[in-house]
Amino acid sequence: MAGPDIDAATTTIVAEAPPDSKTRRYDRQLRLWAASGQNALESSRLLVISGTATSTSVLKNLVLPGIGHFTILDPAKVTPEDAGNNFFLEGPSSIGKFRAEEAVRLLGELNDGVEGKADLRSLEEVLEKDKDWLTEFTIVIAHNLEAGLLERLSALLWEDESFPPLVVVRSAGFLAEFYIQFHEHAVIESHSETASSLRIDKPFPALLDYSASLDFENMDVTDHGHIPYVYILVRVLEEWKKSHNGNPPSSYDEKKEFKKIIVGMKKKIDEENFDEAEAQAYRCWTSSTVPSEIRALFQDPKVKSLTPKSAPFFHLVAALAKFTEEQPPNTLPLTSTLPDMKASTNSYISLQKLYKARAEEEKTLFKSYLTVPVDDATIDAFVKNAHALKLLRGKRWGALDKNPSALVAAVESAPKQLSIHLSLSALSSLSTKQQPNAPLTVTVEALVAEAQALLPAGTDLPENFAEAVGEIVRAPTADLPNTAALLGGMVAQEVIKMITKQYIPIDGSCLIDLIETWTGVF
Amino acid sequence: MSTLSLPNDASATVDWPGRYYHIDQILNTPGPRTDPAFLAGDGVKGFLRNEAKILVIGAGGLGCEILANLALTGFKDIHVIDMDTIDISNLNRQFLFRPKDVGQPKATVAAEFIMKRVPGVKVTPYFGKIQDKDDDYYMQFNLVICGLDSVEARRWMNATLVNLVDPENPESLKPMIDGGTEGFKGQARVILPTITSCYECSLDMLNKPTAFPICTIANTPRLPEHCIEWASVLEWPRVHGDKKMDTDDPEHIGWLYKVAAARAQDFKIEGVTWSLTQGVVKNIIPAIASTNAIIAAACCNEAFKIATSSAAYLNNYFMLIGTDGVYSYTFEHERRLDCPVCGGEALEIVIAPDFTVEQMIEMLVEKQDIQIKKPSLSTPTKQIYLQAPPQLEEATRPNLEKKVSELVPPGGEITVTASTLPFSLSLRVTYSL
Ligand SMILES: [Zn+2]
Repeated sequence: MAGPDIDAATTTIVAEAPPDSKTRRYDRQLRLWAASGQNALESSRLLVISGTATSTSVLKNLVLPGIGHFTILDPAKVTPEDAGNNFFLEGPSSIGKFRAEEAVRLLGELNDGVEGKADLRSLEEVLEKDKDWLTEFTIVIAHNLEAGLLERLSALLWEDESFPPLVVVRSAGFLAEFYIQFHEHAVIESHSETASSLRIDKPFPALLDYSASLDFENMDVTDHGHIPYVYILVRVLEEWKKSHNGNPPSSYDEKKEFKKIIVGMKKKIDEENFDEAEAQAYRCWTSSTVPSEIRALFQDPKVKSLTPKSAPFFHLVAALAKFTEEQPPNTLPLTSTLPDMKASTNSYISLQKLYKARAEEEKTLFKSYLTVPVDDATIDAFVKNAHALKLLRGKRWGALDKNPSALVAAVESAPKQLSIHLSLSALSSLSTKQQPNAPLTVTVEALVAEAQALLPAGTDLPENFAEAVGEIVRAPTADLPNTAALLGGMVAQEVIKMITKQYIPIDGSCLIDLIETWTGVF
Repeated sequence: MSTLSLPNDASATVDWPGRYYHIDQILNTPGPRTDPAFLAGDGVKGFLRNEAKILVIGAGGLGCEILANLALTGFKDIHVIDMDTIDISNLNRQFLFRPKDVGQPKATVAAEFIMKRVPGVKVTPYFGKIQDKDDDYYMQFNLVICGLDSVEARRWMNATLVNLVDPENPESLKPMIDGGTEGFKGQARVILPTITSCYECSLDMLNKPTAFPICTIANTPRLPEHCIEWASVLEWPRVHGDKKMDTDDPEHIGWLYKVAAARAQDFKIEGVTWSLTQGVVKNIIPAIASTNAIIAAACCNEAFKIATSSAAYLNNYFMLIGTDGVYSYTFEHERRLDCPVCGGEALEIVIAPDFTVEQMIEMLVEKQDIQIKKPSLSTPTKQIYLQAPPQLEEATRPNLEKKVSELVPPGGEITVTASTLPFSLSLRVTYSL
C-alpha cells in the first residue's frame, strides 16, 4: 500500500558530531528537561539563607545539574555541632571558619560551571539596609528561619509579582515541611503522560478522504494487514455514523457491535492492525473536546483582561480560546505526534505526513490569533502541549494559618499533615518567645499551648498531634543527616521544576514524616 | 598508589564534643512511637558507632548518597561493592567523583572521598561483582543497602540473602534495603528475607522494557528507534562479525548512528540523533541528583532506624512520583506464596496441549512475574532443555520442537534454572482442553 502521495523527500543527513563534554556530563538530565530546561537552570541565580546541613543538601542537588549562581547568606561560624552533620564542611578543620565560605568552597568543587558566593551579612541587616538585593534572585530558599524574620522576608517577596518565589523549609528530627510561596506559575511543558487527541472522531478532510478511498476488500493481503488503525477507525466510524443518525456508538451494546465490525473486516486471523483498531476503538467515542481544565484557563482574569504587556503565556491562551471558538471542529490544534502502530513504513510515514501537514495549517491559523509576537519554539511547545497546560496560583506563606475554616477542615481531612505543620509552627513561635542565645526549652505543654493558639478558638487539636509534637520535643533542634538529605532532594526537585517551568511543582505545603516514611501535600 | 596519611586514621581523631549533637537528640530519648525495646543512650550509640557493619551495593547515583548519609549518621564500618568505573556522564549526580576520577573504579574513589571528608569512618571498597563474594562474606554484615540499576543484580542479592536465613540463627537474617530511581520517580523498600515480601515477589511491578519485534526492525521500520535497533542488532554483527559492540566506545556509537541515520533517510523517517542512538543501545534511564538524594535518604533512614530501633521502620514499600507535584505512596507489599525465592509453593501454569518447549521458553522470558533469560528446563526424572554446556544443549535441542505435554504429565513439575540466578523455579503444569 503506497498511501497518499509522499513528496520525494530531499532531506539530507547532516551528520551530527559526537556530543561535547558538557552535553556528555549532563546527558542523563537533558533527557528529562532538554536544552531549554538546561538553559533556564544555567541562567538562574539562587539565594539560600543559612548554611545548615539541609541548606547545603538542597544546594548540592542544584549545583550538580548546573544552576548559574548561588549565594549563601550566613554570618555564622562553624560550630562543632555543624561540623558533625554537614557534608559540605570538612569536619573539625572547618570549626571556627565562616560556615557560608566553607560550604561555598566545598559545593563549588562539584561543578566548575557554577558560581558560588558567600555573603556574611545577617538577614536582619539585609532586610534593613539592602532589601532590594533580595529581590534580584530567581528563587530564595530559607531553612529553619526564625518566625519573625521569615514573616518579614515573606512579606517583602510577596509585595510584587515579579519578585522571586520563596521556598520555606522547616525541619526538626524526623519531621519536616516545605512550601513554595509564589504568585503564579505557568507551565507549558508539563510532560503529561496523557497524549493529545488523534481526532479520529472529528477527522480533518485529508484524513477522512484518504480513509474513505481505501478499497479494503480488493486490497492485497499484505497491504491489508498493514493499514494503520487510524484509517480503519475513521472509516468504520464514518460508515457507522451513516446508519446511526450521525452519532458514534454510545451504549455498551453499540460499542461491542462496533468492535465486532472491526474484527469482522480481518482477512486473516493474525492481522494485528485490526487487533490494534479494536483496542483503540474507544477513540471513536471519546470526543475530542477542549479539556475542562483548559476551558477554565480561558476564563482566567489575566486572559480576559489581556494587554500587550501580559506575559506570552496569557497571549497564547487567549489565542487558543479564540481558535477553539472560531475554528471548526472547535477543539485544540492538531499535533503531529503519532503513536507507533502496526503499519508498513510507507503507510505509517504517509499518515504521519497527513498529520504534519494539517498540524502546520492549524498552527498557522492559531498564530493568526496572536496579537503580540511570540517566538516559534514557544508556539511549537504550546501547541504540542495545549491539552496539558497548567497555571498554578500560589498563596503567601502562612495563608493557611490565617484561614480558620481551612484549618478546621484540615483537622478532619488531613490530621496527620496538619499535626506536623502545627507542631513545627508551634516550635517556631515558641523559639521566637525565648531569649536569643539561651538554650531552647521545649515541652509538650508549651507546644500544645502554642498550637492551640494557632487554631480557631474551640477547635480540638488533630488526631495524631501527640505523636508529632512528641517527636518535636524529642529533637527540637536536630537537623538529621537523613532528613536533611531527603529534604535536599525534594526541595531541589521543586526548585528545578520552578526554574525550568517544566513538570508541575507542588501546590500547597508538603509534609514529611520519616518515622512512618510518608509525604503528603495539603 | 602512595598512601597519604588520611585524617581518618582512627587513633588520630576522636569524636569531638558536639559531633553527634543532632543525631544524639534522637538516640538519647525515645519518641511517642518508639518501640519500648529501644535502649536510649550509650548502648545504642555504642552499637551504631563501634559494632554495626553495613554493606552498600553500588557506588553510583544512589551509592554516593548512601555512603555520605551513613557516614554522617554514625555508621563507622561501611563496605561498598561496585564493578563500574567512573564515566563523565556520572558527574551530574555522583557527587563524590570529579573529572580527574573518570576511568577510576567507583567503589575505591567513593570510599576514599568519604574517609577524607568524614573523620573516623572506615569504608572498605571492593571493585568487582557481588557474585564474586560467598555466603561467609555476606554473613558478616548487619544490614545490606542496595543502590543498583540492574534488575539481575538485585535478584541475585535478594535470593542470596533469602538463602542465607537459617531459622536456628537469628543473626543470619540480614535486612535488605533497596532503592531505585528513574527520572523524577523512585522507590525505597525494606525487605526482611523470609519474613516480608522479597524483591522477587514484586517482579511483576517492574515496567516492561520496550522491545521491538525483529520483523518490524527488519521490514517495516516506522520510528527512529527501529532504525537504531536495525543498526545495532542486525547490521553490527553482519558487518563486524564476532567483534563485540562496546556501547561506551564513541566510535562504535558513531558507526551505529551513521548506519541508523542512513536507513532512516532511505525510509524517510525523521528523528535519528546521536543522543537517541546512545539512549536506545545503552538503554539509558534518565537520572538526576535530587531524586537519588530522596531515595538514598529514605533508604539510609530505614537503615538507621533498624540499626538503632529509635523508631519503627518502613513496612515495607515507599513509592515516589515527582513529575506532577510530590506524590508518594507508602504501602505493605504482600509476599507471594508461589515466589520462587521465598515462597516455597510451585507456580501453577496452564498451557495448551500443543504448546511446544520452545514456546514455553519464550513465555518464561516474557512473563512479567518470571522474566528468566535463558532458562534451562528439567523434570525430576529427565532434562528437557539445557542452555549449557554445549554438549547437553545439543543433546536436548531436539526437544525444543516437542510438545510439553509429550514430556510432562498433567500436574507434573518442571524445574527452571538459569545461570544468572541463584535459585530455581518450580512450575506445576496443567493443560487446557
Ligand atoms: Zn519472595
